[in-house]
Amino acid sequence: MRHLFHVTPSGWAGLATAAFGILVLPSLASSYWLSVFTSMGCFLLAIAGVAFMYARLGMVSLTQVGLMGVGGWIALRLNHAFDFPFEVNLALAATATMIFGWILALPALRMRGLYLALVTLMAAGGLEIIFATFQFPNGGAGFWGVQTGSGAAFRRPWIAQSPQAYLRYVIACALLGFLCIELHRRLQPGRAWALIRRSEAAAMAAGVNVTLYKTWAFGIAGLLGGAAGALLAGSLGLLDDGTFRASESVMIFALAVVGGAHSWQGALIAAVLYKVLPALLNIWGVDANLAFVIFGAGLLHAVITAPQGIAGQVLEGLGRLSPKRGAKDA
Amino acid sequence: MLEIEDVTVRFGGVVALSAVSVRFDKAVNGIIGPNGAGKTTLMNVLSGFVTPASGRVVGDGEALLPLAPHRRAHWGLRRSFQKEEIADDLTVFENVLVQIDHSRSPARTKTAEVEAMLALVGMADRAGKRGAALSGFERRLTDVAKCLVGKPRLVMFDEPAGGMSVDESRQLGRLIRQIHGTTGAQVLVIDHDVELIRSICEDTLVLDFGRRIAFGPTAEVLDDPRVKAAYLGTEEV
Repeated sequence: MRHLFHVTPSGWAGLATAAFGILVLPSLASSYWLSVFTSMGCFLLAIAGVAFMYARLGMVSLTQVGLMGVGGWIALRLNHAFDFPFEVNLALAATATMIFGWILALPALRMRGLYLALVTLMAAGGLEIIFATFQFPNGGAGFWGVQTGSGAAFRRPWIAQSPQAYLRYVIACALLGFLCIELHRRLQPGRAWALIRRSEAAAMAAGVNVTLYKTWAFGIAGLLGGAAGALLAGSLGLLDDGTFRASESVMIFALAVVGGAHSWQGALIAAVLYKVLPALLNIWGVDANLAFVIFGAGLLHAVITAPQGIAGQVLEGLGRLSPKRGAKDA
Repeated sequence: MLEIEDVTVRFGGVVALSAVSVRFDKAVNGIIGPNGAGKTTLMNVLSGFVTPASGRVVGDGEALLPLAPHRRAHWGLRRSFQKEEIADDLTVFENVLVQIDHSRSPARTKTAEVEAMLALVGMADRAGKRGAALSGFERRLTDVAKCLVGKPRLVMFDEPAGGMSVDESRQLGRLIRQIHGTTGAQVLVIDHDVELIRSICEDTLVLDFGRRIAFGPTAEVLDDPRVKAAYLGTEEV
């Protein structure tokens, strides 16, 4: 039981980063950067889900941003249809997206590698078309809830009405997402996933229900994606179908590989690359499309020299510098 | 007791197992045969990774073929692979614990059982070591401990001594001989190491081209001219 609550040095660093994000960052950031960091926090949660599936099970999901769209759609729909508080909408959106993810993934989970990736990419394409056709609810009538002109107001959490407070809220949610993943990693599902990644046959021989645990992992990724979408809806008050294109799902998966799928640092690097880098280029007056060139170079770098991503390379370098390792080498 | 009745496996036009029937009722049993004889295919049928075209497999009176592979593990089937399957990012303790994670026993009971089996195979002092840091023999010992937890009924080893030194092979043989006494499980061993089979197996099945060519007490089977011919070929005059 003790190992369940043991905080590793990397864990302490993560908690410290979250504390910085909650206590310091909102008071330093301008309204432009508050918006960028809030959006980054939402995508960090989604990237955590897709990176976790890749790192723990070697499963490639190319529909994570589509799942974010599903979560966002449900949160907006609930917000405009009922008077539930934000937390209820968030929980329902995340749960419904998790179930949606399960339904989507169940036939595909019997497939491996490239086939699962292709099926999820097709799903992302389908969602893109649905979002583009029906748009996101903005307080209109009927099932799709879309009206022309300005939309109805979106209720934020009562403890996070201001942009600063909402950034804190998003960072706290992202932290909870990472803790949820880490808790799973340390318990029975984490052991089952480790064995499945080693060999599905060995996992079955060890009594692991491979389909169940793969579905479980996909469900967690869906839960985090759905929550991220609902938080993004809360940030902007409305959503645009352009945010949830299939190409964005491919992009965040690629960035998760560039950053490093095996650690929270990698997910954070991916989120920074995805949201902060284009914002910086924008401020510097450089074409934001340059970010794609940088992403491509980063992906080449990861594929050729850093299978654990930038985070893995940095952590390995720090490990070499640590006095303990130095003494051992000496 | 394990009964295999008329098990036939076809891969396209190739008959990998042809109506193989055998009844294993000894504590430690062997399966030998030249490469491609169908030994691993038979083990895969027992594990549930290969579905036979026909036949029956009954373990302790229960039909095993209708069960999914993970359900067979819950039933008490244990399987060690030619390449020991140890997760690199789990500790030795966790690698063994996975095998009984599905069990509803209290966590303390499971922990005690894992610790006891790690002590039996001589890995108790390395329980916290990660899989990635283990030597080949340590990985094999961890694999054996994994096969011993959770009240196994049938433990199968697929070429467990592959790549081992003579001493390591002997130590492994001693461990395999202890399994029945410790857990009550029946043991099935596939290996090319005839000396290992001779020293630990009471009965041995010999397969060649998917057919049963001999079965009985190991010493007699190994002296059977048909078995020698299968392994060494026949002299053309």
